[in-house]
Amino acid sequence: MPIRILYVNLSERSSRVVDRPDLFSKYLGGAGIASKLLLEEVRPGIDPFSPETPIIFAAGYMTGVFPCMVKAIAMFKSPLTKNLGESHSGGHFASALRFAGYDALVIHGASEHPIIIKIIDDEVKVKMADSLWGLSPLDVEKALRECSYEGMQSVISCGKAGENLVCYSNVIVDRFHHFGRLGLGAIFGSKKLKAISILGRKGISLKNPLAVKEVYEKLHHKVVISDEMSKYHNLGTSANMLELNELGALPTHNFKESRFKDAERISGETMAESLLRRKISCPGCPIACIHLAGLKTSFAPEHERGKKEIFHEEVLVPYNYEAMYALGNNLLIKDKRDLILLIYRCESLGLDAMMMGTVLAWVTEAFEEGRITLDETLGIKPAWGDAEAYIKIIDNTVEMKNKFYAKLAQGVVAASEKYGGREYAMALGNNGMAGYITGYGAILGPLVGARHSHLSNSGYSIDQKIMNKPISIEQMVDFLIDQEDWLYVLFSLGACYFARRIYSEEVVCEALKALGIDKTQDELMKMGKEIFHNLYKFKVREGFELSEQNIPKRIFEVQTPHGKLEFEKIKSMIDYYIKKREKEGLHLKPEEKALKELLK
Amino acid sequence: MRFHIEVVHPERCIGCYSCVYACSRHLFNIIDPSKVAVFVRVNGTLANPFTVITCRFCKNPECALVCPRGALQPLPEGGITLIASKCEGCKTFDCINACMIRALALDKITNLPIICDRCGDCAKYCPHNVFKYEEMK
Repeated sequence: MPIRILYVNLSERSSRVVDRPDLFSKYLGGAGIASKLLLEEVRPGIDPFSPETPIIFAAGYMTGVFPCMVKAIAMFKSPLTKNLGESHSGGHFASALRFAGYDALVIHGASEHPIIIKIIDDEVKVKMADSLWGLSPLDVEKALRECSYEGMQSVISCGKAGENLVCYSNVIVDRFHHFGRLGLGAIFGSKKLKAISILGRKGISLKNPLAVKEVYEKLHHKVVISDEMSKYHNLGTSANMLELNELGALPTHNFKESRFKDAERISGETMAESLLRRKISCPGCPIACIHLAGLKTSFAPEHERGKKEIFHEEVLVPYNYEAMYALGNNLLIKDKRDLILLIYRCESLGLDAMMMGTVLAWVTEAFEEGRITLDETLGIKPAWGDAEAYIKIIDNTVEMKNKFYAKLAQGVVAASEKYGGREYAMALGNNGMAGYITGYGAILGPLVGARHSHLSNSGYSIDQKIMNKPISIEQMVDFLIDQEDWLYVLFSLGACYFARRIYSEEVVCEALKALGIDKTQDELMKMGKEIFHNLYKFKVREGFELSEQNIPKRIFEVQTPHGKLEFEKIKSMIDYYIKKREKEGLHLKPEEKALKELLK
Repeated sequence: MRFHIEVVHPERCIGCYSCVYACSRHLFNIIDPSKVAVFVRVNGTLANPFTVITCRFCKNPECALVCPRGALQPLPEGGITLIASKCEGCKTFDCINACMIRALALDKITNLPIICDRCGDCAKYCPHNVFKYEEMK
């Protein structure tokens, strides 16, 4: 089976399809093929905002075929890290791409005027879209939604943050999902690409339908009934808030503390009892982990009966733990409506809520310390828990109102390098930290992970599992390596990270067999490792050096469930990690000659 | 086994398409949201609730009445059956358009309308009991 890649060139407004059987036999799909295309398509040292910089999307091999196989992979050069950009999104995108008959979509070139890409099966158009420029992704989704009785459609779009090249702007996928974190929105913006709409109306054929049905039946039952997935069915990831608070691992007050006294007021439980309106799924996943809160806003005051806020309109805002931590407890926001309001602002502008929260926390602390003044903030006084001030700062950042806000738009590390306070600029590998100070895994995981995400290798999760039975430095590193390699197998198939416990090695082999692919666990593990190596080859080529990664000092000052973390211990873990990866044949130091080439 | 199927809780639909995928697996041994007899439809934006549609098994099915060749036969228990030899795949979409809730889709390859055979898979795979289904006597 060849991998079918749709190439779209925005400069020429042209498209073509290329079949790649070689990619299928080696990587099956998803993250695997994207990692290879990344090495092939991205010129070394290229500026992320250069028109030549490609965007690579890939759907997994099992997308739509088995439960929870829903994720689309995006790879690009990140404007935030100037290195590997990798982001996974749920929603309809991966399914629509496959139903349109493609495994991957590669976008080259750039346009001078706003455009969109519109795909209906074999029909691919690059269309003018001046009327969409400046609109919120939520309005773009409404505008581009087809009135179709057949097939499956996905609409993805950047917001104002992406248009203005904010380095941590997202691409919003089907209203409630995201290609988040590493600035894909800004790459869209730099290409004047506002949105992509895909309507897929073809089918995915099955060689041995009976075998597929048998495996599907088993997995579906497991996903719907088993305890392992009940968290995602019920409260969603927002259940983490009180669990982590109890554990003393909830980042609060810009990581100064690990418990939040008002956690209950903004917890998943509170949301479920008050603001939760709907839950929504990705096509092919019966879980519905996306929780939507109703945010009431009043009509014009002069039309309110008795000038009281009696009548309201309501918008639906997706909430999950990471956005809640970043814009909630970490900023000492204790009002649930304020929290949803902040999330909604990020959604409407197409901003990464996690990095925005990290930036706001740094701004508040830097202001307290006098590193920045009202001159920089244009008269806004940032204060813990003050949502109104935070919303103004968010807006000014997206508009890049002055030099200070333009710096904020480059991320927390860039801002702290200019104004000071690097020790509390909470980022690992330049990516804003996730909401866990559970222990060493939560720090080492994102630091070594290819995309610097807490989801790279589940470090935060192993921390919580070893509470009563500590493990050695070597065991921790070995776990992270095995986990990340294996996850890249799952991400090639299209699996959602949340379903990782459903898709064990045996289950994956069985599911592949039902599709006519015979692969042993060892072969799969080797494939996962090779994908990771591909990504690190790219990273090292672009100048990434693991041994020189900065860890904010604040990490070592806060109490965690494993006590205060020690720098020396993390350093030994990194050293051991490098040794182990180099033993696999991976070179982790950029060659000097190559570096010089990059610097030219 | 054949079932009476009814959409009773469309407001509970989470948009997982488990019913849709199950239907195309059952009818055509593929996965294809266009080749089905159960539909999860997006209404203008994902901010709106989904519409879930199956055949209502009408006593006087309009889809059958409009067919000039009598290819769709009303059944005594309600609903229709397709006599494929009589259907010419006329592409006038008369039967498709006759159904007010658009519970019929056209198979683009054969041009035949796709009929629910009451297998009950849509209901069985729904995680939130959107459908009511009971065995037909």
